[in-house]
Parts: sequence; C-alpha cells; structure tokens
Amino acid sequence: MIHRLTRRGLLRGTAAAGSAALLGSVAGTRLWAQEPEKPAELIVRAWGGSWVEALKAGVSDPFTKATGIAVRHDLTEDNEIQPKVWAAAAQGRVPPIHINWDTTTNATKSALRGVTEDLSGLPNLAATTDLAKPVGLDGYPIVNTYGYVYVLAYRPEVFPDGPPKSWDVLLEPRFKGRIALYNDGIGFHFPAQVAGGGSLEDIPGNMQPAWDFIAKVKEQQPLLGEDPDFTAWFQNGEIDLACTISTNAREAKKNGVDIAWTVPEEGCKFDTDGLWIPKGLPENELYWAKQYINFAITPEAQQVWLDGLGLPGVVPGLTPPADLANDPSYPTKPEDFEHLIRISAQVQVENESDWFAKFKEIMQG
Amino acid sequence: MTPLPRPDRAPEPGQPAVLVRDVDMDFGSGPLAVAGASFALARGRFLTILGPSGSGKTTLLRIIAGFQQPTRGEIRIGGQAVTATAPHRRSIGMVFQKLALFPHMTAAENVAFPLKMRRHDPATIPGKVERYLDLVRLGGLGGRRIHELSGGQQQRVAIARALVFEPELLLLDEPLAALDRKLREEMQLEFRRIQKELGVTTINVTHDQREALVVSDEIIVMDHGRIQQHARPVEMYRLPANPFVAGFVGVSTFLEGRRTATGLDAGGAACAGTPVGAIPEGAPVQGAIRAEQIRIEADPARLAGCDTILPGIVRDTIFEGERLLYLVEAPALGLALQVYHHDPEEFALFDAGAEVSLGWNARDLLIFNRQDGRDGR
Amino acid sequence: MSSFRYPLRWRLMDALERAADLLWPERLSRFTGWLMIAPALLLVGLLVLGLAEMADGSLRTLDRATFLPSEELSLANYETALGSATYWRVFGRSILGATLATALTLALAFPYAYALVRVPGAVTRKALLVVLFLPFFIGQVVRAYGWLIILGNGGMVNEALGLVGIAPQRLLFNFPAVVFGLVQYLLPFAVLMLAPALTAIPAETETAARSLGASWVRTIWHVVLPMARPGLIGAGLVTMTLALTDFATPAMLGGGSQDFIANAIYDQFFRTADQGLGSALALMLVAAGSAIVALVLGLFGAGTLAMGARR
Repeated sequence: MIHRLTRRGLLRGTAAAGSAALLGSVAGTRLWAQEPEKPAELIVRAWGGSWVEALKAGVSDPFTKATGIAVRHDLTEDNEIQPKVWAAAAQGRVPPIHINWDTTTNATKSALRGVTEDLSGLPNLAATTDLAKPVGLDGYPIVNTYGYVYVLAYRPEVFPDGPPKSWDVLLEPRFKGRIALYNDGIGFHFPAQVAGGGSLEDIPGNMQPAWDFIAKVKEQQPLLGEDPDFTAWFQNGEIDLACTISTNAREAKKNGVDIAWTVPEEGCKFDTDGLWIPKGLPENELYWAKQYINFAITPEAQQVWLDGLGLPGVVPGLTPPADLANDPSYPTKPEDFEHLIRISAQVQVENESDWFAKFKEIMQG
Repeated sequence: MTPLPRPDRAPEPGQPAVLVRDVDMDFGSGPLAVAGASFALARGRFLTILGPSGSGKTTLLRIIAGFQQPTRGEIRIGGQAVTATAPHRRSIGMVFQKLALFPHMTAAENVAFPLKMRRHDPATIPGKVERYLDLVRLGGLGGRRIHELSGGQQQRVAIARALVFEPELLLLDEPLAALDRKLREEMQLEFRRIQKELGVTTINVTHDQREALVVSDEIIVMDHGRIQQHARPVEMYRLPANPFVAGFVGVSTFLEGRRTATGLDAGGAACAGTPVGAIPEGAPVQGAIRAEQIRIEADPARLAGCDTILPGIVRDTIFEGERLLYLVEAPALGLALQVYHHDPEEFALFDAGAEVSLGWNARDLLIFNRQDGRDGR
Repeated sequence: MSSFRYPLRWRLMDALERAADLLWPERLSRFTGWLMIAPALLLVGLLVLGLAEMADGSLRTLDRATFLPSEELSLANYETALGSATYWRVFGRSILGATLATALTLALAFPYAYALVRVPGAVTRKALLVVLFLPFFIGQVVRAYGWLIILGNGGMVNEALGLVGIAPQRLLFNFPAVVFGLVQYLLPFAVLMLAPALTAIPAETETAARSLGASWVRTIWHVVLPMARPGLIGAGLVTMTLALTDFATPAMLGGGSQDFIANAIYDQFFRTADQGLGSALALMLVAAGSAIVALVLGLFGAGTLAMGARR
C-alpha cells in the first residue's frame, strides 16, 4: 500500500514522450472519426489565486487558442462542488461543470461512487509516468496531473542555525500558539505517525503513535485553517511554523513573506491532484472535455502550468522552475524521494473520515 | 353696584406650602413659555391653574414638579428652596395626564411602588397600601392588573399611588381630560373629597373652566405664559381682572365703545356698566357681559329696574338641556348677544325672528380699559 | 370649472381595483387572507420538505466502498453523533457561546436602544442609527476579517499594548474571541428589535416613576426593564438562534479549534462527504434550537412577544 516514490517510477514512459502531443495535435489526436460539434465553452472547476492563474496560462488559454472553445473557471471549493455533482448524477441532470480539478482522494470518492467518466482512452496517457495512474482503481476514472508535498514551512528569522530537522520542532515551548495545521489535519497524519514513533506499515491499522504526537501538538495550541489562512497568518506574524502544501508557501514567498520550507527527517506526505469528468454530459461536450484533459498532460501544457504551481508533473523531461532547483518539495533526484510518504488513495478514502474525526476530537478539546 | 369682597390674601402663619417667585421659562424659540410667574399657596388649599393650550400652565406645573429647570426664578415647597432639587427628592405626588400606571404591576403594587422607592419600612407598606386603596374606594381590587380595571378605577389607582407616601404637595396634570363627561364630573368630586379628607395641598392643571370652578379653592388663569388672575372661583367668575379672563371663564358678549360717566357708549347706544379700575371718560373701552346676566322679555315693561334696556331680534335658539341659549341681534349695538334663559316654564318662548327686549344692570356689564389687558375675543 | 380634478393616481387605483376584481372576484374575498399568506406558507412548506429530505438522509449511513448512502435505514448516525465526545463538546460550546453572546448583546443593546429612543435631538438619533447600520453594509465576513487585523499579533491593540511595554498577547483564535465577534455581529439585530419595544413605553411612565421617588437607575430596573420584557425576549430569541447556528464567526475568529455545530455540519457535508451524519447533526441543531425557543415561550408565554391578545 505504501509507495516510496522512486525516480525510476517517475521517469517511466520517457520513451513515449518523444511523440509528445503538441498544441496543434489536439485536433489531430481524434478519438472519433468525425469531430463533434464544439460547445461554446467548457467549465473547469479550479482553485483560485495562483492556482487558477497557472492553469489558465498553461492549459486553458492554449486550449482555447487551438480549439476556439472558451474555458470558464468555476472557483467553487472542491469540497462544495462534490455534493452538487453527486446530486446531479443521482437525479440524472447534466452536471454543473465539465471538468473537475480535484485532489486524488476526493476524486477517488467520486470514482467509487461511479460518477466519473473513464479516461483510459486518452492518447497522451501513453507518454505519462505511473504517477498519472490512480492507485487501486480500475482504468483511469481520473488522471493525476502532478504531485505535491505537505512541507514544514517556517520563518527563517526564528531559525538562524538552518532549517528545522525534525517535526519534533513543533513541540518546542517557544512555538506555543505559533503553529498552523490544516483544519482536518490533512498532510500531517503520516509524518505524525513517524514522529510519534510508529511505522508507516501500521497505517491504517494502528495509528496511535500519530494521535499521541498530535495530542502533544494540541498542547501547543496550534491554529487550524485553510490555504489562504496560512498565507495571512505568516504575513501578519501570527505563526512561525506550518504544515502546508509547498505551493502555498512558495506563493507567500513570492508575495514578500519571509518564509522557507523543508522536508524533515520523518518525511512529508506526498499526494497528487488530478482532472476528471463527471458523468451525464452530452456526447459532444464529453468529447471536448476529454480533449482538454488530454491536452493538460502534454509536456508543453505541463511545463507552463506546473512552473506556475512549482510542482513536479506526470510527463518526463520537464524543466523545474529556477527557484526550485534542488528543492526538497520538487523531487527530481532519487534521494529527494526518500523522505516522501505516499499512501494509496483507496486507503485514504476509506479511512480519511475517521482520521479527520480523530484529529477534530483531539483539537476541539 | 357693590363689588364682591376681596378674598383673604393674607398669608397664613408660617411659610406658604408652595411659593413660586418670578419664574421665567425660555425654551429658546419664540416668546417665554412662562413669564414672571409668582404666587403663593397656603397649606391644604386646592389650586387650579386654568388656561388654553399653550398658555404655559403645564410648563409651570412641570417646573414645580422638578422635571424642568426654570430659566429664572425660585420654587419653594414647605419653605424649602427646591429649584435645583431632583424630582424624586421633592415631596411631591403627581397624577399624570395619561396616568402613567405601571402595566406590569397590580394595582396594589403600583400603590406600593413609591413606598418601596422611598425606602419605607417594608413592614408598614401593606397597611399603607390597603389604607389608600380604601381611601380611593378600591378596597379588594388591589390584586387586579391595571388593564383589568375600568378607566375610573385606573384614575383612583393613580391618585392612591400619588398620595400614599404622604407628599407635601399633590400635582394633577389634566388627569381627567381624556374621560367622558359623566366620569369626569364624578372624578372631579372624588378629587375634591379626597383632597378635603387628607388636607393635602394640591395644584391641578386644566383647560376646563367648569372643572376649575367645581374643584378649586383658588384659581390661577394663565395665558401666553403670564398669570392673568389669581382668585377664588366666585371672584374669578364675577370679577374677572381683564377681558381674557372674562372670555375664558363663562360665556360673555363683548361690546366696543368709549367710556362715559354711566358706562360706555357703543356707537351711539348708551350702555350702563361698571368700570374695572379707574378709566378716564372718552377712553376706548371694552365691555363684557355674561349670558346669564342679560334678561330677555317680549314686553319691555317687565324689564323695569334694569339699567339698560335694548330692543333685539332673536336670530337663533340653541337648546342645551338645562337651559336655552339665544342669539339675539341688537340693532342699536350692531352685534348679536348671547343670552341664557334658565326658566323651564317658559322654554322655547321665542322663535327665530321674534322681536324681544334685552335688559341688564350696570354692575353686570364690566368695562375694561382697552390699553389694560388683552382683548376678550 | 370645478376646483377639484379627479387625481390621476385615483384613476390608476380604480383601474387596478377593477383588474384585481377580474383576477380575484369579490366572492373569493373570504379566502383573501389565505392568498396573502400563501407565499409564506409555500416557503415554510419547502423548508419542511427539505427537513424531511434531511431526516431521510440522516437515517442512511455512508458506505465508504462506494460512497453511496445505504439503502437500509438505521439510527447509526445519531448513535455516532451522541456517542462522540467531540460532538458533545461542540454542542456544549455552541450553547454556552450562544448564551454568553446573547446575554452580552442584550446588555449592550439595551442602553443603545434606550439612547436611540429617548435622545432628544434628531441629529444624534440619526448618527446613532448610522453607526448601528454601518456594520450591516460591511457584512459579517469582512467584519470578522477586520477583527483579525485589529486584534492580531501585529494588530492595533497589540501595538498599543507594546507602547506601554506589554508583550504581544494572543487575543484571537480562542473562545472569548468568538463570543466577542458574535456580540459585535448580533448587536444591531438586538438594538433594532429592542427599539420598538422601548418606543412603546411612554416617556411619561418614566417621569412618573421619577416623581414617585425612583432614581434613574431604579426607574430603569423596576419600570423600563420589566416593561421592555417582550422586546428583550424577542431580541434574545433572535440573537440566541443566530449565534447558535453561526458558522463564519467561529470559523474565522476561532482559529479552527472553536467549532460550533454549524462548522461540524459543514465538515460532514463538505469535507468528509458524509451527508448522513451531517443531516443527523443538522436535525439535532434544529431540535436544540426549537427546544430553546419552546422553553422560552413556555416560561414567558407567547404574549411576551407582544403577539395575540393581551393576557
């Protein structure tokens, strides 16, 4: 169930990359003999801020240029679009979006529920690494498009002797009230399991070490929030340490917040996001939605899109952004992967509610 | 022509219960609301301040109560200067225009309220409440809520509440104005009875001249912020100090003319009358005569003994129940006089158009110097 | 030539009345009352339908293999909710927070409403109203964000404390901060509900109390407060319900560890996709809110809201 990522895995499929689909080839890589009617627009659910800007620059705008189909970005929260899509499927209605940009865990729930279209036929999948394939599901109900790391972000001014080495730093008295975690503890459960003296092999069977460690962190009165909160808290000097996605930390740094990040010795959670298409679209719209995703996994699209996000993609040969060369949150070398923890989406999906509940139970006390 | 004796104005031994001296009230816009008001009220007396709306009577009452600070002047209650004393530190019971009972309390709780607020011994409070509920004839109704009582009963609760703490002074701010006539007259007599029983010094404010005459020992008539006259009711009625008082208390007809040796000359018609104060002959004057002091007869011979007799033509006859009011045009005067006829035997004696004779005695036509007071009309 | 001309407005009204007569003939007039409240009934009906839907959902557990609600009905979600120490704590915190916020709000709203009603100058009254309404235009989320700025570690308050040599204090992200934010959010509602109740108390009643020997404070305590009771209870019910069901204030000022029930419901619906458990929690919140309203009305009677006939 546990996948320590290897460089080999990431680079698999390099051979196929030679025939990387180009912008012009979107129309060329036809799934159908005849091109169906183009819809006026495609609606893509996306995260706001730098996330949607990166998607727009790397995927949506070039797609529009190549096909003439406008792309509208729906910035409804991923958690809030999910029940709407599910309700539409249950009632046999046309879903409110064409493409959902989603976490792999959430997307897996939708896949299990059977509301996702199968994407196995996308021609460009041939050139992707195995990161693109969702683990534990049949076919491609979703296509993973990049990986990301829940790093330990910190303010360098409080660490004059270099970055913190271990998640244990969260327990130092001087950081009482100056720590931030995600609301539901996402990204923190697995490193906490290691930091609490447990083993990753025990997930999900015995996670007591994680809960013990989280209970100790609770004594430190951490703040709990979402991505935008972290940026605000760093900016306003409310916190010194946070477990957050590296993209957010990088964005805050770009905005002038003095912030750095590291992967401590216990490791960091590595996860993926992907794109999927809800069931119930008219045939022609489904066709063009597939074309959009097919285009999103071309090296050209990935390069621009993921430069914006600062994350490693699912096609080989991408050039990392200059500021992320040798960055632990942008794994390229074998040793980069040694400290990244990846748990299969299926295990996460089955147990996530319990983990969230347990985390809440500790934190709401 | 024998003027009524002047009322006894000599102050009683000791201090008057209420002394108002040179009080002005300036609200900053328009003329003074109260101007130069001064009067003294002896202990146990019932004074009514009478005047039309806007006359300053309510303002004067609120100044005495302490809800308003006068711009100038002094208030003394029981010899104590209270001009700057807060209302709840003055020993004053007040009955308000809209009663201002506390709807969330029973009648008895309303009556007990001032005792509690004035920190009376709790043990004595129930007895006092009972006594005063009995005084206002509400014995047994103390447990009722305010909205369970009739209008008259609510009046009585308000009186008991104002009196129960035995204040030195009782103030009545037109509490009867909203009642129907029958209840109002009943309550007027009740006020008088209770006031006499307790002997509490009382100041009442009203615009109802009948109420003032019925309940009061003394009346002050106010107009335009000024005290026009301060007198006993009968004197106020018979000897008004100026045309305003004459017009406001009772029903009078006014004649314009010039002063003569025997009365006044109204455009050639000689009218016998009595001057109020010294007025030189030939001066412009105003005469006032009350409707009930003019006699009306078909045969002028029956008016023998009247000092003035004039022919007239009945223009209208108004039935008022216990009396008739005639509007009689007197061609010699060029105006219509109001004439009361009280004799039930001769009801509807004259129809409109009937030719009649009017007569009066010299002492009943009061003659005022036009320069003196305000116009009666 | 008459000096009176039949106004155009009257002609218009006549035409409208004739049209209304065609649409809703006179003989239907005894149903007119029902017609008027029909939209309100429809809205309530929709709400009831939604509640029924939720009640059904709350009886179905989530199958994590398919992420579909179960076919069979059970009380498992309620057992989960009632068996969880976390939810008990969240419910307790919501009720305590709502009660505290209501008490503080009423304590602050009463003098404000009193001033609003009794202040003599029209200019002062308008100023008080503007100050009261301003937060309404700003909106709850922006207001909460304002508190983040003012009370944050680098905020104005801590800067002021710094000037007198006090180290920065954590003023946010705790229970008092949530209650504080709720009070600020609820104050205008309470003032607007109290003002009419206080207007209904004649100024003369207070004057009377003063003349009977009550000081200003005792007049307020013994006369104004008891007479304002319907308004206080109405305002209390509204603020209590709003506070109990609030989402944004605990989310923004609680720092994630001060969840109210609404936040827990949100988590179930949107974070863990467990609509069954979310529905169960939502219905328990409806039940708790209804119980509080019923308790208050039972204790004081519906007449306390100045509705219906006088008692």
